[in-house]
Amino acid sequence: MTSLAPGSQRPLAAPTDRTNAPALRSRTLPLRWGRKLYLAANIAILVFLLTPIAIVIVFALNPTPFIQFPPVGASLRWFEKFFASRDFMHALLFSLEVAAMTTVASTVLGASAALAIARGNLPGSRLIVATMLSPLMLPAILTGLALFQSYVLLDVGRPLWGLVAGHTLVTIPYVVRTTLAVLHNFDVRLEEAAQNLGASPTRTFFEVTLPLVKPGVLAGAIFAFIVSFDQFPVSLFLVAPGSETLPVALFNYLKFDLDGTIGAASVVSILLAFTVVLALDRTVGLRSYVKL
Amino acid sequence: MRAASAPRINSMALLILPSTLLFALFFFLPIGLMAVMSALTGNPVVMPNVAITAKHYARMGHDGYYLEVIWTTIRIGLWTTLASLLVGYPLAHWMARIRSRTGHALLLMAVLAPMLTGIVVRTFAWMTLLSDKGVINQILISLGLITTPLQLMYNETGIIIGLVHIYVPFMVLTLTGVIGRIDERLEQAAENLGASPWRAFIEVTLPLSLPGILAGSLLVFALAISAYVTPILLGGFQIMTLPILIYQQISANFNVGFAAALGMVLLVISLSLVIAYNHVLGLVSGQRELQ
Repeated sequence: MTSLAPGSQRPLAAPTDRTNAPALRSRTLPLRWGRKLYLAANIAILVFLLTPIAIVIVFALNPTPFIQFPPVGASLRWFEKFFASRDFMHALLFSLEVAAMTTVASTVLGASAALAIARGNLPGSRLIVATMLSPLMLPAILTGLALFQSYVLLDVGRPLWGLVAGHTLVTIPYVVRTTLAVLHNFDVRLEEAAQNLGASPTRTFFEVTLPLVKPGVLAGAIFAFIVSFDQFPVSLFLVAPGSETLPVALFNYLKFDLDGTIGAASVVSILLAFTVVLALDRTVGLRSYVKL
Repeated sequence: MRAASAPRINSMALLILPSTLLFALFFFLPIGLMAVMSALTGNPVVMPNVAITAKHYARMGHDGYYLEVIWTTIRIGLWTTLASLLVGYPLAHWMARIRSRTGHALLLMAVLAPMLTGIVVRTFAWMTLLSDKGVINQILISLGLITTPLQLMYNETGIIIGLVHIYVPFMVLTLTGVIGRIDERLEQAAENLGASPWRAFIEVTLPLSLPGILAGSLLVFALAISAYVTPILLGGFQIMTLPILIYQQISANFNVGFAAALGMVLLVISLSLVIAYNHVLGLVSGQRELQ
């Protein structure tokens, strides 16, 4: 038995033999070149992905009012301008307010929907999941347009609840997905054991199910917050003039100006998103929630 | 499998009701209203004598300008998809095959970092890189490689570069999942049988990852044709795409009916892509994928 185990591994450990075989040696050169090319291509791709983020930070700190490269120094004047601007501060606070309300709404609705899908034995659950995830894949600009038209038709104006409802729709898929991910990896026997030991279904829910799905719900809530904070197309249609969210305010500013204030505003929102994600990674771990 | 056990619906199922209400009132009803508005002569609430009409759709068909806009949107979507695939595949392959856990975490962070930066911010970043006096032109001029700045934005190339940056993470995450499921020993077997690593990749890994390529491409295409911020800013208000036209009909022309008809066109295209995407992913991994 013991001699069989290493023997069965041998075909996979072939690379050591391969370098000794003269007939195969000619192939090790293109292989090494291929490997180099592979790494070089990937590093170029990473540079492509990360340069824009780095450049934003450079421009936020660069004191000149126009794009200059290489930067001539570092200053915080754009941050001062951003934090001193009443319009931007109003937009930042409004965005945080909308994101907070959206997070609460989509966490409560999304987590209950996920529980119903996983535990309610609903017929057609696959279709329900597809529906719940559909705002993620249908153009958000259409969600914005359709809601805008309905509000015009019903003559309700552009109310705050209308904006929050739009944001809740586009963030709910994240909560449903992360909560379902936890519920599917979850041992149903824990719930059964609690009930067999005499706990009522209600008590089982609050003392077993809820604590166990908490990481998924929390991850979904954090995604919902970030997505709502960065949301643009839905907000474009639904914000009332004079009370724009930060992305809409930045977009309107960008149409006419390209100075460091946008850079500073960008750095503030990037830092906010990263703090939130780091918190997420520390508390529940990221890897299992980003599968598409 | 489910039909065999078929358990009863229980009280937990009631928890679906609040979100059902949200979707009914704020998603299906508005989209239904949009479909109705696209076939009416005016707003039925304020105008007493509205009639059913096909004029909004006819306008799209008869005026070459609108067909041109739809074609521009699709063309930009196709180029973005192709470029995202070329940029995304090597990275997805690396992510799926890297052994070190730290390496994987770092790559994942690099892919997620752009996703966590808002679209307006990323478009701004590309404007600073691509404009006439932008970083790339300044570097090329100071190196003496060019004397007049290259036209990198205010054209379709600029839009495509910006869109690829925004949507390539979706391609990478879709592909990584599919490549990760391919048994690495199949490649090793091909190499042990004498195939070069390149040939092993072309004949084993690439065909097996085709569903991922298809799914990722459908997703990126669907996202790219519905983008608004990047085409308008990097196109410098010069290039018209379907989402830009829709918003213009609302904000400048107040033509709600025509905007609705354009919206329906975008909806039908996206819906078919989403159904195809789900179908393809369903083929790869059965029912699990949707969750």
